[in-house]
Amino acid sequence: MNLEVNLIKHGSDAELKLKGYIDASNAGDVEKILSDVAAKFDGILLDMAKLEYVSSAGLRAFKHAYMDLHRKGGSLTAKNVSKSVMEVFELTGFTRLFKFV
Amino acid sequence: MDSITVPAKIEELDRVNDFVMEKLASLGCGEGTLFQLRLAVEEIFVNIASYAYKPGEGEAEVDCEVLKDPLRVVLRFLDGGVPFDPLAREDADTSREALMERVGGLGILLVKKLTDDVQYSYEDGKNILTIMKKL
Repeated sequence: MNLEVNLIKHGSDAELKLKGYIDASNAGDVEKILSDVAAKFDGILLDMAKLEYVSSAGLRAFKHAYMDLHRKGGSLTAKNVSKSVMEVFELTGFTRLFKFV
Repeated sequence: MDSITVPAKIEELDRVNDFVMEKLASLGCGEGTLFQLRLAVEEIFVNIASYAYKPGEGEAEVDCEVLKDPLRVVLRFLDGGVPFDPLAREDADTSREALMERVGGLGILLVKKLTDDVQYSYEDGKNILTIMKKL
């Protein structure tokens, strides 16, 4: 998979450092990882400093994680988002779902 | 004009991207522009791979042409699947409520927003989606 995911625990929250690409070929794997983490933690902080690319397939994976967390009162936060990735979030309205720090 | 024909399968996405990026490699495009083009290519190709021949299989052709004054790239995506005009639908609703209900149509929305022109036609039994982006 052309994406590395590193998990850092902060109590009941998880920080996930994403490095690489999320496209249609690996979005299903990403969705599964996020879903597993969302089941175990109250909140997820996604560090996107090294996320170089995301397509609508990746957005779907993020959205499902967001919904899982939202249902149990948790939150999904993104940080260090690159200009290009942020443009994808802005054009698709995802800036209205996630928190950004 | 250069052209590549591949099986319409998601596994071929990298080959299509490589083909397009190779054509642009010597033009000194900015990273942001390349990101946007890669995204447009993925969204269109994945749509073809996911829906055009469902439940059967078929091929997709991608034509790439770089034009001058102004410098721009024109990409044509052709498939012989079910006639489908992705531009006929209204733009996806990106309100928070709609996104929480369902996610659909975001790919083609991104294509429209990140390119300078998108056109659809159906000719000789083929769907032809043409995008143009200034470089």
